[in-house]
Amino acid sequence: MPHLDAAYNLARWLARPPVDADDIVQEAMLRAYSSFETFRGSDGKPWLLAIVRNCFLTAVGRSRRPLAATVPLDDDVALGDPALFADEPDAESVVIQFEQGRRLGGIIEGLPEDFREVLVLREMEDLSYRQIAQITGAPIGTVMSRLARARTMLKTRWRSDEPGAPHAMQ
Amino acid sequence: MPCSEAMRAQAYFDGELDAAAALAVEQHVETCAKCAALLADLESTRKLLRERAPYHRADEGLRGRIAASLARAGGAAPSPRRAWAGRGRFGAGAASGAAAMALAASLAFLMVLPPPSNALEGDVMNAHLRALMSDHLIDVVSSDRHTVKPWFAGHTDVSPPAGDFAKAGYTLVGGRADYVQGHRAAVVVYRHGAHVIDVFAWKAGDEKLPSIATRNGDHMVFWKNGDLVLCAVSDTGLDELRGLVRLIKQTSAPAA
Repeated sequence: MPHLDAAYNLARWLARPPVDADDIVQEAMLRAYSSFETFRGSDGKPWLLAIVRNCFLTAVGRSRRPLAATVPLDDDVALGDPALFADEPDAESVVIQFEQGRRLGGIIEGLPEDFREVLVLREMEDLSYRQIAQITGAPIGTVMSRLARARTMLKTRWRSDEPGAPHAMQ
Repeated sequence: MPCSEAMRAQAYFDGELDAAAALAVEQHVETCAKCAALLADLESTRKLLRERAPYHRADEGLRGRIAASLARAGGAAPSPRRAWAGRGRFGAGAASGAAAMALAASLAFLMVLPPPSNALEGDVMNAHLRALMSDHLIDVVSSDRHTVKPWFAGHTDVSPPAGDFAKAGYTLVGGRADYVQGHRAAVVVYRHGAHVIDVFAWKAGDEKLPSIATRNGDHMVFWKNGDLVLCAVSDTGLDELRGLVRLIKQTSAPAA
């Protein structure tokens, strides 16, 4: 089943207990199957991911979120911050990598949903702005600003969470 | 305060700009420390996410449950073969046959490859990976551009810019003939540290070029030189890749 991993990955990053990612994906595949006649386009991935997202919203009791027109500006929006973390050393133990993955996962989960989903769609699924706009129903400009915010928040939290000396790299 | 060009720099990083806009950003970044730092940040954030963040894959149990529920919904097993068998029995069991056809069609839909804008990137990346994985990385071994260039003249219909930038860390190791989207392409191969950098060159058509693209950690930088399209591909860092592109651009004035 093509794009099933992408569907599941998105569902996992969106859903939280008691909402179950398995149920969302299963429902999404059924909906995709029964509504493919309405699909007009050349690329099935954004189409399927939009269905996954709608299934998630249904599961949490929101039919379709109103377009979040305002992106609140707060502390960590500095887009032009200097590079805040360096590349990892090559000879890194599996344990450290695992620990980093877990910590990074926690940070992503802690991002507001609007930001989390654009980050997952852009960086993990490599989708274009247009495709992300199609999936989330947000205008492209909003996709861009959310993406900028999400990346800045992730970077800032990754650094400030860093065990040891967080400012060593600056 | 972030630079007012920050959004455009981000779009550039995401490969969303056309060639002219990308050039404008590149020029801006040369004089804007904030945007240069932003690009470095975006790159390290991307590297972090793509190399470290958990990617959740559907396990076999879930695949099985979905297959079963699709089968119940369609009244047929969700395998294309069974679905096609259903088509043969169309007259006998119209409902389940139609459902099976629908299922086969829906799966076919989902199997459609990435959108056309990405086809070129995919093609170049595939050619690059194919060469890396086979022993067919280099057709002509040479650290001398005076050997490489005539070789291309005899084996491809393009004459790519080639130079040895060993002093800057990019060693010319040779060239090969390859194909990109059905066109013959010349590939100049460089070595940078432990990394191989392929520089593809082919006759420009009406393709729409991204400026940069990233696939599974490999980077591509596209640009035009005269009537040639060039694309540098490698798993080296984007900055290192851009460094080589800069050197090639400096030494190759557009073909007169």
